[in-house]
Amino acid sequence: MSGGVVLQAIVAGLSIGAVFGLVGLGFTLVWSLTRVLAFAHGDIVVGGVLLAVLAVIGTTPVALSPDVLHSIALVVLTLLFGVALSTLSYVVAVRPFLGRGRRPDDLLGWVAGGVTTGLVIRTALAVALPAAAYAVPDPLHLDDIGGGGVVHLPGGGVVATRVFPVLAIALLVALVVDRLLVGSTLGRAMRSVAEDPDAATLCGVAIERVVLIAFAIAGLLAAVAALLVGPAGPLSVDRGGVLGLDGAAAALLGRLGSSRQAVAGGLVIGVAQQLVAVSPHLGAAWSELLPLAVLLAVLAARPGGLLAPREVFAE
Amino acid sequence: MTTFAADLYLLVAAYGLAVAVSYAGLPVLGQGAFVAIGAFGTVQITAHGVPLGVAVVAAVALATVAGYLVGFAATRLAGAPLALATWGLAWLAYSALVLFPALGGGAEGLTRDAPAHLVSPALGLRLTLTPGVHVGIALVIDVLAAIALARTARGAWGLDLAALRTGPVLADSIGVPVQRRRRAVLATSAALGALGGAGTAVLLGVVAAPDYSPLLSLQLFVAVLVGGVATWWGPPIGVAILAFLPDTADALARAINVDALRARSVLTAVLLVAVLVVRQPLHRLLTRSSTGRTRAAAVAASVESDRGPDGATVLELRKVVASYGALRVLDGVDIEVRSGEIHALVGPNGSGKSTVLRIATGVVRPVDGEVRIDGLPAPAARAAAPRVKAGVARTLQHTVMLGELEAGTQVEVASRAKDRMPHGGVRELLATPRGRAGRTDRRARAVAALHAVGMDDRADAMTSRLDSAEQRLLQIARAAATGARALLLDEPAAGMSADQRDRLGRILRHLADRGFAVMLVEHDMRLVGRVADRVTVLAEGRVLATGTPDYVRSQPAVALAYLGSSAAT
Repeated sequence: MSGGVVLQAIVAGLSIGAVFGLVGLGFTLVWSLTRVLAFAHGDIVVGGVLLAVLAVIGTTPVALSPDVLHSIALVVLTLLFGVALSTLSYVVAVRPFLGRGRRPDDLLGWVAGGVTTGLVIRTALAVALPAAAYAVPDPLHLDDIGGGGVVHLPGGGVVATRVFPVLAIALLVALVVDRLLVGSTLGRAMRSVAEDPDAATLCGVAIERVVLIAFAIAGLLAAVAALLVGPAGPLSVDRGGVLGLDGAAAALLGRLGSSRQAVAGGLVIGVAQQLVAVSPHLGAAWSELLPLAVLLAVLAARPGGLLAPREVFAE
Repeated sequence: MTTFAADLYLLVAAYGLAVAVSYAGLPVLGQGAFVAIGAFGTVQITAHGVPLGVAVVAAVALATVAGYLVGFAATRLAGAPLALATWGLAWLAYSALVLFPALGGGAEGLTRDAPAHLVSPALGLRLTLTPGVHVGIALVIDVLAAIALARTARGAWGLDLAALRTGPVLADSIGVPVQRRRRAVLATSAALGALGGAGTAVLLGVVAAPDYSPLLSLQLFVAVLVGGVATWWGPPIGVAILAFLPDTADALARAINVDALRARSVLTAVLLVAVLVVRQPLHRLLTRSSTGRTRAAAVAASVESDRGPDGATVLELRKVVASYGALRVLDGVDIEVRSGEIHALVGPNGSGKSTVLRIATGVVRPVDGEVRIDGLPAPAARAAAPRVKAGVARTLQHTVMLGELEAGTQVEVASRAKDRMPHGGVRELLATPRGRAGRTDRRARAVAALHAVGMDDRADAMTSRLDSAEQRLLQIARAAATGARALLLDEPAAGMSADQRDRLGRILRHLADRGFAVMLVEHDMRLVGRVADRVTVLAEGRVLATGTPDYVRSQPAVALAYLGSSAAT
């Protein structure tokens, strides 16, 4: 592999990795507050943007660049649908299975609830959008930035122009959410619920509201991820299944529950995936399996995330 | 006929998954991956000229190993992470089949001759596997699986699985080898999944990736959820519902003009939702109807530890040092617990009492010092089950019950630990005379343990009908039933009234008189003063005093630790 190809893989990988990071950030946020693994999170990503496309453009999306009005409508609706799907998934498929102390007590129940939510979103979309994959118009017009659509890197590599704004937007959004979690009153409330819901209640935290807001933020992050990744190539309804697992892998590469490490994990996986894709021995097929393999390996080694401390046998 | 045979093979895979999901309570979302290993494995291996029978065995073996490995990883993967890992596995297997045409045959899939022929020159056998023959084969496997599960449910393995389902920590504390059972469950589950897959592949003569997508895993999962907890008849009902799915899906596909596979996933989603809605009410209904069952085991009820009260040291901690990270919790603690003796361990909060229990039961390893049981070094594994077999059992501070089981059965689970018969589970499955005798013996021990805590008449009571004092006593009965000579009781009197405490005191004395070595971790000093033969006072990880209650009470250091410096002066 030449240096140019490696550089191209790293740049492209950082961009897609940042998107994985946003998905992983939502995944880790949901886990912190409810100790539930968000099985439907990937489908919420895809569901949000495709529902918006359905609403704004209809059942035969075309890759034409949308005008200002349509662009705004697409962005707003994607964010809205992301938030709606995520909070709805909490109300319908998570809350019924939370037991004492707002921790899940019916394992088979919430696992089944999560996968069901994902499947419902996938199939509902598939009924409306029966083709194998769709070209999602780009409401953010990221390809228009800089004119040519591609950037020539030193060493001969070529990447799409959009990878730079994608990376920038994803990291900016992640940074804002991180600041929110660390600095604000809401963030403190969230961390208190993550630590101990009972104690948080005693301190006057309105848990129900805080958890709902957390799911809304996870949905918002999912929608942003969708706006960034959707227009990059043909998007299939089924993409959500794997995208959710990519995000889970990102979240588990650090310590599950840490937002910064989730984003970092996403970047690592994105770069690794692109490096595998350009490697002459492995190639694209292997690169698609990589995040899943990482997920399984990490879970086998440390179920709480690779950087999590070894658990003391809980009583 | 072909469809029916295929459904029967699907039922084999569902039975496999039922072992993991509805019997052991493990959330496995990747049964489709194991089915795929069986199906694609068989076709791939026969394509290399290997005889069909050998290929099926090899593919099933491959899946079994894969299942065992998942179980091995599941050592640390309790609960939710296991669901995620198996879900990831389902997607990994499917993606690999799609992405690598050499493996999955691309969009067309792989084909082989159908009907297949089973040829064995050695036996002079040449059997054409028509769909009818397949129905026969699949039916035999299904019936065997159903019988095995029905037998297992009330047998030795079933008790272990019930404990696994409720909670690994509790299961471990009453001597169930949690990790070994989990690996066995996942390997069995995978093997049956692969068997079903292999059968289908041979029957149809074609395997294509889209039929082995994660949707298959979800369908099997919902088929198993339908029947609720631990029922042999659940999977057939679930698969019967699934069997109607393709036809209904085709009709739906025509009606709303979508792809037939899509229509199937719509129906699967609807099914999952329906099952989720009815699951808990159905479960409550079923468990309520089973409470009336009575247990036929009137046996001379006396629980005795193996050798009677001989004053021998059963459990001994020597110069034990323990720390959590940088925090030193125990600093050279010596404790001896003797047969026939009630030994109270007291001390202020944070003095290290719970850590002594954890060290004694093996779930925490000492940094230094040693633990001896009956004069021998204690098993080194970081789990309680081996210690239970060696002779040390404990109760947990929180009353944890084996959810949906009657009191008598809960104690029976614990008395499994004392089953010394090799391959007892297999014997009971085959209902051999020794297997039956073993079961009768185990039930007798359970009844005896219940008698020892004065709960003979509560054997059929469900957990929800026991008051908190009875739940505490049941925990003691469980610990006693394991056959361990040293019983470590963590605050057994918590939440008990004065009368109940008196009764508890009498029960503890009764147990000690029978030869048990009782260690009592307790805050109630009146109870300790009344029943304990010996008291050890811990403070800040060190032993302050050991001796009779009167001696210990007279020690100024004890008053200092308990009441602060002002009381001592």
